[in-house]
Amino acid sequence: MFFRLLMESFRRQRRRKALAGLAILLGTTAVTAMLALATTIGDRIQQELTSYGANIVVYPAADQLEVKVGGVDIKPVPGGAYLHESDLAKLRGIFWANNITGVSPELPIHILGKTAIGADVDASATGLWFDHALSSGGAPLKTGAVGLHPWWKLAGAWPQEQHTTAQNAEAVIGATLAERLKVKAGDEIQVAGQPGNASQALTLHLTGVVSTGDAIENQILLPLNAAQTIAGTPNAVRRVEVSARTKPEDAFGRKDPDTLSAKQREIWYCRPYANSIAYQIREALPGSRAEQIRRVEQSEGTVLKRISGLMWLISAAALLAAAFAVSAAMATAILERQTEIGLMRSLGASKTTVAMLFYAEAGLLAIFAGGLGYLAGSGLAAWLGARIFATDGGVRLGSLLIPVLFPVVVTLALVVAIAGSTPAIRRALTTDPSAILRGSV
Amino acid sequence: MENPIDLETRPDCAVIALHSVTREYTGHAGTVRALDHASFSIVAGEWVAITGPSGSGKSTLVNLIGCLDRPTAGELRIDGEDVAKMSATELDRFRADKIGFIFQQFHLIPYLSALENIMLAQYFHSMTDEKEARAALERVGMGHRAEHLPSELSGGEQQRVCIARALINNPPILLADEPTGNLDAANQKIVAELLQDLHAHGHTIVMVTHDPEMAGLAQRKIALSHGKVFCHPVGGPVVSLRK
Repeated sequence: MFFRLLMESFRRQRRRKALAGLAILLGTTAVTAMLALATTIGDRIQQELTSYGANIVVYPAADQLEVKVGGVDIKPVPGGAYLHESDLAKLRGIFWANNITGVSPELPIHILGKTAIGADVDASATGLWFDHALSSGGAPLKTGAVGLHPWWKLAGAWPQEQHTTAQNAEAVIGATLAERLKVKAGDEIQVAGQPGNASQALTLHLTGVVSTGDAIENQILLPLNAAQTIAGTPNAVRRVEVSARTKPEDAFGRKDPDTLSAKQREIWYCRPYANSIAYQIREALPGSRAEQIRRVEQSEGTVLKRISGLMWLISAAALLAAAFAVSAAMATAILERQTEIGLMRSLGASKTTVAMLFYAEAGLLAIFAGGLGYLAGSGLAAWLGARIFATDGGVRLGSLLIPVLFPVVVTLALVVAIAGSTPAIRRALTTDPSAILRGSV
Repeated sequence: MENPIDLETRPDCAVIALHSVTREYTGHAGTVRALDHASFSIVAGEWVAITGPSGSGKSTLVNLIGCLDRPTAGELRIDGEDVAKMSATELDRFRADKIGFIFQQFHLIPYLSALENIMLAQYFHSMTDEKEARAALERVGMGHRAEHLPSELSGGEQQRVCIARALINNPPILLADEPTGNLDAANQKIVAELLQDLHAHGHTIVMVTHDPEMAGLAQRKIALSHGKVFCHPVGGPVVSLRK
């Protein structure tokens, strides 16, 4: 009879139940969305920040100090102070290989030559990967400078490294330099070979003009293999920028692994701190020095902590608002049914029996509406995520259905529904049943 | 077959016995005495009408007899048990066993069928028995409407379902609060006949009514005024018990 009462109450009082259910649904939707965002915000902001550029830089170990003026590395290149381009494939084999989302090797060179109209060219250039397939036998990672510098704006097309031959190569030119040399996409620059080494002369076909907002606007960007040819340093790389998904740095992440116990070192090694990934890169690339770009990483941790705290606060506020809404809806629903309560009491039902019945109704409603709220909240989080985080690239509900949130949200809905019902149930049970039945309440 | 009993000499025969029962309510405005040293008895099988104007203490008396409330002072015995000494839980149980309520407003659960409304009383008493519940509906002439919701029944039909519900657990006392107050003449007649039939079958009926015609059907009237009880005929009950 208890279950029949429950079921009939749901079956024949759909409108009333729908109203109370709607309050729970809206509350749990808001809470789920906030919790989903709060629990995933670390990864998502990480992903977002990663899209702003590299967070690890790799140099030859022989370089102890980088000397850059206006974005140009002016430090003389010592003999042999290069990384090997062919070694970069090893990055695909390290423990955290899958966290590496971008690799961009650079080879700065100096170019002397002439434009088609005879103007002298005396400019810095950087050899880069633009869209390179990096593979160590497995699935290749399509990467390069373009992916790591999404803010670069190009009028034209990026150079194709496979079009580089012994005499020809494609290149893009910085907007400032293009203006100074009065060249544009489609023009050519004859690059002279440099005497005294294995450098070769070749023709650069300009495929576009690039605006970067920094010193690169005064440079020529060309495929790495072309720069190696011009510089006469095959397989050489001067610097590598790496973008990796990392865990925000904390005190443990800042520890020197060589001072840790074997067990602690293993834990440190198996956490995707920028430091531990840099450490693994050093292990993979002989003669290299890999460091995290601390400016980004450190502020990232602080920003994450603050945003995450804010999201939890919003979740708590949403939960509180939901509790009030549910409480009001349940109170209305129960007060409307005071006569039933009075009748049940007059038929001999104990207060506990009546309370159990109404709590069971509230509980069922909470489970059902809470479950729907979980789905709706996940959808809302996906929608919000797509609008807040540009890197999401669209609504992906599947990626935001966090299974662990389901019991949490349903439990919260249960707690809220039961807590919200309690004042109304208590009030109804303490009211004189005969007064209720006479309609004098 | 009838055996006259004087309750002065045989108080054990009383199914309801009040001895100097007082009920006071304390509120912001002070203490109000709703029932003032009420003393009377009702024997098994008796049909008693409780009458009186609004505010006379009828509802308080019905609450006390219906075990929905306990006296502030005095002794109230229902079927031999002192109600004032019972805990709330015991009183719930006792009420389910001893009292069958018939309400003016019927008070059927709107989302349960007539049959389910009867079974609800069984559920709160002990166990549901659909066969028995159907038999109770048949007894009040509502067997053909067992699956109907209250909203699909007329007022008279709803009251008959309410009477069947009051009877289902075989309580020794039927407590009817204005049982015909909400009915038209035709349905009033049906319900009155039903109550007469129940009385003829030995049920004890305590009926609150404003209707002199209904009150006239009872064997005895208990009139209330300002919380005080006046029994008619004066001198207390000398009634016949049916065996």
